Parts: sequence; structure tokens; C-alpha cells
Amino acid sequence: MGKLKSRTIAAVLIVGIAVSYLMYQGVSDTGVYYRTITEVMADNGEFTDRNIRLSGKVVEGSIEYNQRDLALSFTLCDLEDETKTMAAIYNGVVPDAFKDGVEVILEGFYIRDKNTFSAVTLLAKCPSKYVSEDSST
Amino acid sequence: MAAFGSLSQILAFSFSILATILILVGVHRNDLRFIQGGRRALFSLAFFTTSASVALAYLFVTNDFRVGYVASYSDRALPIFYKITAFWAGQKGSLLLWAWVLSIFTIIVAYNTRDELENRTTPYIYLVLSGTLTFFLYLLVVVTSPFSLLPMAPPDGQGLNPMLQNPGMIFHPPTLFLGYIGFTIPFAYAIAALLTGELDESWLKKTRRWNVLSWVFLSIGIILGGQWAYVELGWGGYWAWDPVENASFIPWLVATAFIHSAIIQERRNIMKVWNMFLIVLTYTLCLFGTYIVRSGILQSVHDFGATGLGGYFLLFMVTVFLGSIYLIAESYEELRSEQDLESYLSREATFLLNNVIFLALAFSTLFGTVFPLISEAFTGNKITVSQPYFNQVNTPIFLLLLFVTGICPLIGWRKASTDNLKKNFLLPTLTTLAGATLLLIFGVRKVYPLISFSLSIFVIATIAIEFWRGTRARKRITGEPTYLAFPNLIWKMRRRYGGFIAHLGVVIIFIGITGSSAFKVEEQATLARGQSMEVGAYTLRYDEMKRYKLYNRDIYAAQLAVFKNGSPRGTISAEKRFYSKADQATTEVSILSTPLEDLYVTMPAYSKNYDVTLKVSVNPLMMWLWIGGFIMLAGGVISIVPGRSRGVTS
Repeated sequence: MGKLKSRTIAAVLIVGIAVSYLMYQGVSDTGVYYRTITEVMADNGEFTDRNIRLSGKVVEGSIEYNQRDLALSFTLCDLEDETKTMAAIYNGVVPDAFKDGVEVILEGFYIRDKNTFSAVTLLAKCPSKYVSEDSST
Repeated sequence: MAAFGSLSQILAFSFSILATILILVGVHRNDLRFIQGGRRALFSLAFFTTSASVALAYLFVTNDFRVGYVASYSDRALPIFYKITAFWAGQKGSLLLWAWVLSIFTIIVAYNTRDELENRTTPYIYLVLSGTLTFFLYLLVVVTSPFSLLPMAPPDGQGLNPMLQNPGMIFHPPTLFLGYIGFTIPFAYAIAALLTGELDESWLKKTRRWNVLSWVFLSIGIILGGQWAYVELGWGGYWAWDPVENASFIPWLVATAFIHSAIIQERRNIMKVWNMFLIVLTYTLCLFGTYIVRSGILQSVHDFGATGLGGYFLLFMVTVFLGSIYLIAESYEELRSEQDLESYLSREATFLLNNVIFLALAFSTLFGTVFPLISEAFTGNKITVSQPYFNQVNTPIFLLLLFVTGICPLIGWRKASTDNLKKNFLLPTLTTLAGATLLLIFGVRKVYPLISFSLSIFVIATIAIEFWRGTRARKRITGEPTYLAFPNLIWKMRRRYGGFIAHLGVVIIFIGITGSSAFKVEEQATLARGQSMEVGAYTLRYDEMKRYKLYNRDIYAAQLAVFKNGSPRGTISAEKRFYSKADQATTEVSILSTPLEDLYVTMPAYSKNYDVTLKVSVNPLMMWLWIGGFIMLAGGVISIVPGRSRGVTS
């Protein structure tokens, strides 16, 4: 019994270590800083050329969308401090929920000298009137 | 009617407290009359949760917008079907649904145990259930009542989110709930076993159907969610590893592990501690899923509006988990198995490996999901991981799982002999090698897809051999012809063969996932009328824009003629819809589905003169994901059909 038991523990340990290694690699390869607009603007250079995730609010009336080239640009403000703003550009299909005043989550790069965020992905939350307290879990 | 609903749930709440007290007294005094009384209170409770639910449905159907909940999720123009289902479109109704379903499950248990009141475990089972019901009814009555009234009735409701106006979305939440709630029953039996010290496998035997059925519902919920995302959201995928999706997938993984390890305990009387731990973990993770969704603690695309219920669920979850772990620790000595694994070359060992893999998947998924919290707590930096993390970490683990699914039936119980192994492995291995060679010849050169498809062939081969051998043996014994021996084999040993059918479904799901994720082709173009675009072997020609009105929506539909390799394949209509109550358009997805591939079309934009921008993708083998899901569910259901089955014996 003792021998088999210790070998079982050894086997479980090996799987555990392998999985931990996979997870460690996964996090270091794909982890993305999640920041607010204020933080990104305040920092000098830490976020240059670094993939970051950003949440903010679309400033009313700032959306320009060229449907032909699917080129989108808009102004983004901090969720807490609306005076902190930056420009955002995005190429691609815009989600249905995206419009003035909604909260968006962007992933991409910050271009410091232009105070512009170049987004690779754009997710829009449902506007508050339509808060889909969707019951799914 | 609102007052009636309110009163009903208050009465239900009172009965849940009464039941809990009566049963506690009954256990304490060892007096059956009190326990019987508590049991009756449970039936009354179920009566009143039912009448509260009927009341809420009635309020929706009659457009009673004085009720805030109805005004938030319905309007006059909503089709009646969606009016009824808007019942659970929001949190308050979902809670009522939860309480109602749990009360129905509870009286099913109470009915089934009508002759077992003298069993020491029965009152404790009731106690866990009535305690849980008390928690939910407390939330409904005191914290967030669906029947609370607005100061003034608005002329019309705010309507149901157009994205939820889809049959898949309508049944997705309640099926997930049925799964989550279903696991309360085996959990209650497990706790009762721990409290009374009756720790043999009878709690597992009695709850097997509840386990598998809850698992089936959880699976349906997850599959419907994926399908809803695929046909409704329009980004072309079905699973994004979003926290809310993971919240349902993590308990599913642990539940699947539990269903497998329960089989070993039934057969070999080992892994008792482990099984207790797994059911506790499954149930805790079901609560955790609800907590994630309700607390808004993690950023998700799904916006649920954090509503302060998170704290209650967190408290309940922590209590349940720590309390259960304490009970397991208390009974640890009695739970320890007298026996142990006999050999690594045994089916038990493959089941154990299967369990380790499922838990590894659950852990890595959980870790990735809560990583923003972990990283912030330990480093002060909020770092998120998303799809790439899960794909990178989980893909190799999934492939290992697929491999274990294949070898498991090839290895006998207890201790397999080397001769036996050689004989069993030969044919599947040869088939797999032949299949892999063919795949290479036909140009599957990427590593993961090649491994995934090859392992799928391996598993299908082992399952096919299993069915073939069984059928042959049955023909020999009974003299039945093949077309009778095959279905009879499955029916007579449906526990065993239902399991194999579920495995077959899982493999087919793997094939669908591999095909659609590794070989997807995607194009985007803007077309004027008469122009065409090409995607893979397909050509799409934009012919005209149709405009019309249907129910509560205005529809703009671009008509596209589809050709594959030059031959016509019909037309596709790519739509944008404007719902009367929504100030946003919804992009509809159009799919031309064939066994080989899906042609997936959305129209993200169109201009004033009706030039359209189209996003088109070809998703290979997509249909097999849904077919595999269906087969997996069918296998699960077959394995729990009541009646005489020669069950686990092989």
C-alpha cells in the first residue's frame, strides 16, 4: 500500500507541476495590464509599446465612423474623472451596443506623444437603460 | 396580484423557517412527529413558491407596469412568449425561479423518502434543503422582492433587451439553474451522511440520477449559451472564456470529475474522502458562479449591474464550503478507505487520472478567471488574462483528457495483464496511425489539430470496438440478429453504454471545436448592389436591400446570392433590426449550415445608398459541435433511465 500511495502522490505532483508551469507560461505570455485612463496618462513610459486593457466612457458626440473602411475614432474619458480624456482609434466592426456615453473596454497600445489609444479589440457594455441583468451565470 | 405574490413568498419564507425549526427539534428530541411536521411544511412552502411564481408570470402577461420588475423587462409590444420568459430576464425573477425550482426538487426528495423517515439521514437531508430555501426566500422577501411597486405606473415598460429575444437565450438561464439547483440534492445527502456518520456509498447510489440529471442540465445550459453567442452576437464564435462563461464551466468540470469518481467508489469502495470533497466543491462552485455574476467583481462583457447581492452569496458560499470541509475533516478517519489502488494498469487508475485532469482544467480556468484579483492583491498591478491564456493553457490539458478517454475502456478493472493490453490496444492504435497518415496527406499540418483529430479517431475506434464486441457477444448468447442485438445491448446495460455514447458526443464536440477554430477563413468587404466577394470556396453576390416590419421591429435585409465553386447554393439574408424600444440597431447573424462547414454572414454596416459592409466567415465542421453536444446529452439521459439495468458491471 505504501509504495503505491507514494507513487500516486508523485504522479499527482507531476501533473500539478506541469499544469502550474503551463499556467505560469500562459500568464506571462498573455497577461495584459488593466488600467484606468488617468493611470495611463499619468505614467511616463511604463506602458509604451505594451499591450494594455483600458476601460472608459465614450464622450458624447465624439464618434466618427467611416463605414466604408470601418475606421472608427472617438474620444474616451475616465470613468471617474471625466476631465481626463484621450483619443481612441479602432479598425473593424463596431459592436451594436457601441455609441455615445457607453462604457467600453479596449485592448491595445497607448501612443503617448499623440495621447491616442490604438485599440485592437473593442468591447461595449450595454447602456444603462438596457442593463441586461441577464440571469445567465 | 402583486400583493398576492408578495404574500405568497412571505408565507413560503415563513414555512421554510418553520420547517427548519420543526426538523431541528425533531432531530434533537428524536421525535418523528416533529420531523413529519417539518416535512409537511416543506410541501406548503412549495405550494406558496408556486403561487408566487404564477403571480409574477400573470403580472407579466397582464402588463402590470406598477410592478417595477415587470416595467423593467417587458412592454406592451413584446410577443406573449417573451413576456412569460421575461420572468427570469432579471435578477429578482431569477431568484424566484431558483427558489421555486429548489422547492419543487425538495418535495420530490420528500416524496421519495416518505417511507424512510426513520432513517437517521433523512431529517438531515430535509434540514440542508430547508436551510438553503430559507436563504433564498430571505433574499426574495427582505432584500430584493420582484413584487415591489413603483410609486406610479409608467405608461409602458422598458422592453426586453433585443439580444435576449431569442429562443436559445430564453432557455439558457433556466437550464443552467436546473443544473446548479440540482446539485443541492446530492450535496444535501452528502452532508447528511457526514452528520450522521453513515458514510457508506448509499448516499452516492441514491443521488446518482440527481447528479447525472443536474450535469445534463448544466451541459444543456452551457451548450445553449454557446449557441446563443454563435447565432446572436455575430462575432463568429461560441465561447470567449469570459468570466461569466467560465462561471458555469468550472462547476461543470468538477461535476464531471465527480460523476466519474463516484463510479469507482460504487465499484471498488475507494476514494470516499475524495467524493465528499468533489460534491462539496461542485456545489460551492455553483454558488461561486452565481456570486461572480451577481457581484460585478470581475469585468465582463456581460453587464449584470452589480446589485449588492454578491455579499450575501459570498457569505453563503464561504459558510457552505468551510462548514462542509470541517465536517469532512471530522469524519476523515471513518472515511479513509481500507483498500487502495491495486495497480497503475487498471481502470481505477485511469479514472483517477481523469479526475486529476478535470480538476487541473477547473483550476487553471478558475485561476485565469480570478487572476485580476490575485494579481492586484499580490502585486498591486491589475493584470487580466483572456482568451489567449485559456487557449494556451487548456488546449494541451484537453488533449490529454481526450487521450485518457480513449485508453480508459481498454484497461480492465483492478489489474490489467500485458497480453490483455496488447490485444486491446492493437486495433485502435493501427486505426489512429492510418487516420493520422491520411490527415497528413490531406494537408492537416498544424500540430494541435493533427493531434486532436488523431486522438479523436483513437477514441472513436475504442468506442466502436466496445460496441462491436458487446453486440457480437450478445448475438452469441441470445441469438438475436445484429439490428436487435445492438440496441438491446445499449438498453440492457444503459449505464455503461450511455457513458460510451456521452464520450462519443464529447469526441465529436472536440472535432467541431478543432475544425472551426483551426481552419476558419474570414473576409470583410463593402459591396454596392451587383458586386460580389469571395471567401474560401464561396462567392457572395449582393442583389438588393429589402425593408419590412415584423412584430416590434423594423428590418433591413441585404439579399445575397451564394455560390460555392461556381454552383448556386441559395440565398442568404443579412439583417439589421431596429427594435421599437431600443435606441440601437441589432446585427443579425445569417448562417448557411452544412455538415462540412458553416457560411457565417453579418452586416455590420450599410450606407445611405445601401452599399453594405459584410463580414463573412467559413467555419469548418461547426455543425458537429452541436451534434456532438446532442449525442453527449443523449448518452447522459440514457444512462439514468430508471428500471433494471446491469449497470456498472463490464
